[in-house]
Amino acid sequence: MIFAYLDPGSGSLILQAVLGGAAGVGVAAKAMRHRWKMRKMLEGDAEAEPGDTEEGAGAPAETQES
Amino acid sequence: MGDTTVTRLLDERGLADWRVLADSQLFAAAVPDGRLIAAREVPAPEGYAGSLEHPRLPAITYPFEWTFSMLRDAALLQLDLMAASLSEGMILKDATPYNVQFVGGRPQFIDIGSFEKYRAGDPWIGYRQFCRQFLYPLMLRAWVGVPFQAWLRGDPEGPTAEEMWRLLPGRRRLSPGGLLHVGMQARAERRMKGEAVRSTLAAAGFSSDLIAANVSKLKALVESFAWDSDDGSWVGYQSCDHVGRDRRAKSEFLVGVLETMRPGTMLDLGANDGHFSRLAVDAGSVAIAVDGDEAVLDRLYRSHLPNGHLVPVLADLSNPSPSQGWASVERPGLFERIRPDLVLAYGLIHHLVYTSSIPLAYVVDWLATFRADVVVEFVSPDDPMVERLTANKRAEELHPGRRQEDFDRLLSRHFDVVASRPLEGGTRQVYHLRPR
Repeated sequence: MIFAYLDPGSGSLILQAVLGGAAGVGVAAKAMRHRWKMRKMLEGDAEAEPGDTEEGAGAPAETQES
Repeated sequence: MGDTTVTRLLDERGLADWRVLADSQLFAAAVPDGRLIAAREVPAPEGYAGSLEHPRLPAITYPFEWTFSMLRDAALLQLDLMAASLSEGMILKDATPYNVQFVGGRPQFIDIGSFEKYRAGDPWIGYRQFCRQFLYPLMLRAWVGVPFQAWLRGDPEGPTAEEMWRLLPGRRRLSPGGLLHVGMQARAERRMKGEAVRSTLAAAGFSSDLIAANVSKLKALVESFAWDSDDGSWVGYQSCDHVGRDRRAKSEFLVGVLETMRPGTMLDLGANDGHFSRLAVDAGSVAIAVDGDEAVLDRLYRSHLPNGHLVPVLADLSNPSPSQGWASVERPGLFERIRPDLVLAYGLIHHLVYTSSIPLAYVVDWLATFRADVVVEFVSPDDPMVERLTANKRAEELHPGRRQEDFDRLLSRHFDVVASRPLEGGTRQVYHLRPR
């Protein structure tokens, strides 16, 4: 008897476009642009994070974001 | 559920997914070569859409009871089946090593229910789980130099990307595998927690080709992981004087028992290089080789030829795997899972008594709990090995009642002695015991 609960993790899913190699870069960029637009729409004029658009890369920051 | 089979019940969706798998080239190839457990459709009971019958495996082991090479091979099997599934329009919906068992000396995938039809635009839902339960534990050993078993026993989900990132040495952080699968994943998980992204990915043109490319690169990364297992404290054990001298007599005694009993399963406690387990395999038994030293067990796994049914199990016998998971019944303890016909305890009791300080009476009581025949070696307090094990202990620090007459008296509470034989040197004796 095994009860498998699987949390795919939103970040891990988006990352998979990048991990798909050259062909995935365009998909990743498109997905991030879409995400950014959605956030802007939801947050109105709240400050968006322009760095989010196509990077998603790099080492994690030392401090946790909420 | 019978003695030799296990039944899996399916709902409508599970039945549809099974039929896609059953018609695939993957299924036709992977069952005969042992990568996938055999399965056949049988009439379903009322209330279920379908029912499958699998062969019952003689031993179920968990990832924290595997050695490095075993987890690595299991990871490669998972990736191999992912790649083959994707090429036929299917996918494995999860990626946990609990879906893999070791059969015939090789990993075998046992969860037919993991295969499902791939839906266009979907990402690999099991990627994060693959990282936490396969990739990061392997990284722990290969890149950080830390055994993964204690972590997986404590937390079956495995390290998170964030935790793994904190553990990675600097140069590994800069490697593509460290940066992409650990660093970027840790960052992406933090920034996108709880967001709905599946439809976004599908709309952006995500396809199974991207998953296949990721799987292919993960395979190369896993193949690059190495661990030098030649420095275990028990690696040179078989070259010890008493081991070589007694090995022939102990082998003859065991072979005599194997030929008389023909046990289906022999549990070899303290298996070391697996010499006695191999004798059982040669006699047609399944040998479950338990040892607490990862290095010797990893060597045994790697040296064992496929087809012989030997299952290595990494466990500290003074602290074996407990029952875990939901209601403490989801993953039963080691000795609740394994019910042998014959228990072999050569070269073991004195280590439990003198190294782990378990009273001799407790050890005999424990051997009786298997309700199986036992072949055991008793080592008297005068043996040179015992003198070595107790070199730094005062007499009053040792439990009383450790002499052979004490052992014989303790045995008589649970067992009949079928046969016994002293070994050369006069300080050791082997016994074949049968429970009363």
